[in-house]
Amino acid sequence: MKLAAVDWIFIVWYFILSIGIGLYYSKKAGKSISEYFLSGRSLPWWLLGTSMVATTFSSDTPLAVTGIVIKDGVSGNWFWWNFMLGSALTVLFFAHLWRRAEVVTEVEFIDIRYSGRPARFLRGFKALYLGIPISCITFGWVTLAMVKIIQIIFGTSGVAALAICLGLTIFYTTLSGLWGVVATDMLLFGVAMLGSIILSVVSVEKAGGIGAMVEAVKALGAGTGKDYLSVFPPLGQALPLAFFVALFVQWWAVYYPGAEPGGGGWSAQRMLAGKDARHAVKGTLWFTIAHYVIRPWPWILTALAALVLFPGITGAAPGEMEAAYPRMIAFLPKGIMGLVVASLFAAFMSTIESIVNLSGSFLLNDFYRPFIRKNASEKHYVAASRVLVIFVSLLGAGFSYVLGSVKMGWQLVMELSAGIGLVLLLRWYWWRVNAWSEITALSASAATAVYLKIFPDNALVRGLGRGLEKVGFRIDAWGVGILLIVAVTTVAWIAVTFLTKPDDEVKLLAFYRKVRPGGFWGPIARLNGGAYKLQAAPFLGWGLAVLMILFLLLGLGKVIFMSFGAGAAYLAVGGLAAFLLSKVIAKIDWEGR
Amino acid sequence: MRKEYRPMALGFWGIGVPLVVFAVFFCKTPAQRLTVSLSAAVFFLVGTLIYRAKQ
Repeated sequence: MKLAAVDWIFIVWYFILSIGIGLYYSKKAGKSISEYFLSGRSLPWWLLGTSMVATTFSSDTPLAVTGIVIKDGVSGNWFWWNFMLGSALTVLFFAHLWRRAEVVTEVEFIDIRYSGRPARFLRGFKALYLGIPISCITFGWVTLAMVKIIQIIFGTSGVAALAICLGLTIFYTTLSGLWGVVATDMLLFGVAMLGSIILSVVSVEKAGGIGAMVEAVKALGAGTGKDYLSVFPPLGQALPLAFFVALFVQWWAVYYPGAEPGGGGWSAQRMLAGKDARHAVKGTLWFTIAHYVIRPWPWILTALAALVLFPGITGAAPGEMEAAYPRMIAFLPKGIMGLVVASLFAAFMSTIESIVNLSGSFLLNDFYRPFIRKNASEKHYVAASRVLVIFVSLLGAGFSYVLGSVKMGWQLVMELSAGIGLVLLLRWYWWRVNAWSEITALSASAATAVYLKIFPDNALVRGLGRGLEKVGFRIDAWGVGILLIVAVTTVAWIAVTFLTKPDDEVKLLAFYRKVRPGGFWGPIARLNGGAYKLQAAPFLGWGLAVLMILFLLLGLGKVIFMSFGAGAAYLAVGGLAAFLLSKVIAKIDWEGR
Repeated sequence: MRKEYRPMALGFWGIGVPLVVFAVFFCKTPAQRLTVSLSAAVFFLVGTLIYRAKQ
């Protein structure tokens, strides 16, 4: 593809703006660790929520969704849409608790919640685990996707462009900390969405317009026996296990960056950085709406256009299906092409900057400060933070060479953490969960995943598969694997919880009084002189949030495909759910005093 | 206006301006022109909202 001078001018202008914004905050960020990693806990909901969704919108995301739609149709997106249930859960049950906890990172939570040597071990281990291998895998898969995009757009010479982009991003992120990250995220998300919307408009035009494209996709589907446009998968005579697992298990059981059960990683960091609990809640709600309702439709439209414009793509390898997205850029007129190319850089930068800042926070706050150098000055810790951010960036860039494919990266992370979600949820609401519970969950989940990798066709898998087929499921290896990992992990950590001593009462009481969770805190609540009640309103709010997201998502899809009557009906239901949800959220006392 | 929000507002306006130029000179079809023009309007609006945000 050949970019014209006007394309380059826009791309350079975009970089000047985004880097300028990032660098503006370097002085403010350098004042303290709280400023560097949490923006002084002063973020309003609209900034922290947009930063969350900007981080989850990376260069690989539209490619992944394109591949999903070309292979399985729109309904294939339930692979990640199911996480909306978990996101809504985080909004109503966890966002305000994170903010009340007032820790710097999700790993520091361990220090205020658990006691004894197991807690110290868990904190140090998780700091290194999340700060190095997990961040390297995420960095690697995001960078690999960007390399693929650049090679399609620029040819191999474009890798130098990527190196410059990466270098500039790391530069301003190192200097300006989370302030630079969230402020640039605001613009980067806007530019990234702009590019995806424009690409979808041009792609659909090229495919003959929305009506002609829909008819062509239907005809293609009739020929292959697939309904590409259906939002829900065909159930047929047997329920597909993968859909069942996605809808009922994955969202609460699997720890996945950006969709951690109960919040974690960069989403927890943004909640912790909110002005107060209410801003943390509203910001997470805005993220949920932007992430599930607004983001995906432009990519889905582009993917459907690719089905029409690239005959035979349904028989291509997964990598070729994903590459259809950047290939569509060739159809753009000059000027607009530069805009869309800039948008892909924006998506990439918004994720990379968050990953390195977050990893730096784990390594500084949860490893260096508690274990290596205690009681140093804030100036020292800020300087150390900057060194650590550069360190993880270099590691991540290096790992990009080793990682085989984008999909391999996703799979690795999912499989290692497939069963740990439940303990992460219950640790807030059940006093009995201790550090050994989490250690066991992590170990059992990883061990089972590795066992399944080495012995994929073992007796347990065969037995479980046969049993599920008997009750009417159409089984697949992934679904069976996830169920097995979750079952083994859950049994293991619950057993260990009861076999080990509870945490120290003084620690638990301090946590209970600080965070004020409801739930099952029996003996600690008695020590407190009374229990904090788990209110009923969040349960209602959760149901309304899920209804709202689902109906707005479906309604937007109906309108885009020109079913205006159905679209209006769905949007009306979604709108009503949103209105009722706003009333519920307004009534809840998020500080819980 | 909060000082720390100023760069973000400038960033949005800074993208909005070239979008107007693209809409006028580089869009080939009415759909493209409408999309880019609306996008420019959104960027100007968001920039202004950020500029005027009190919290």
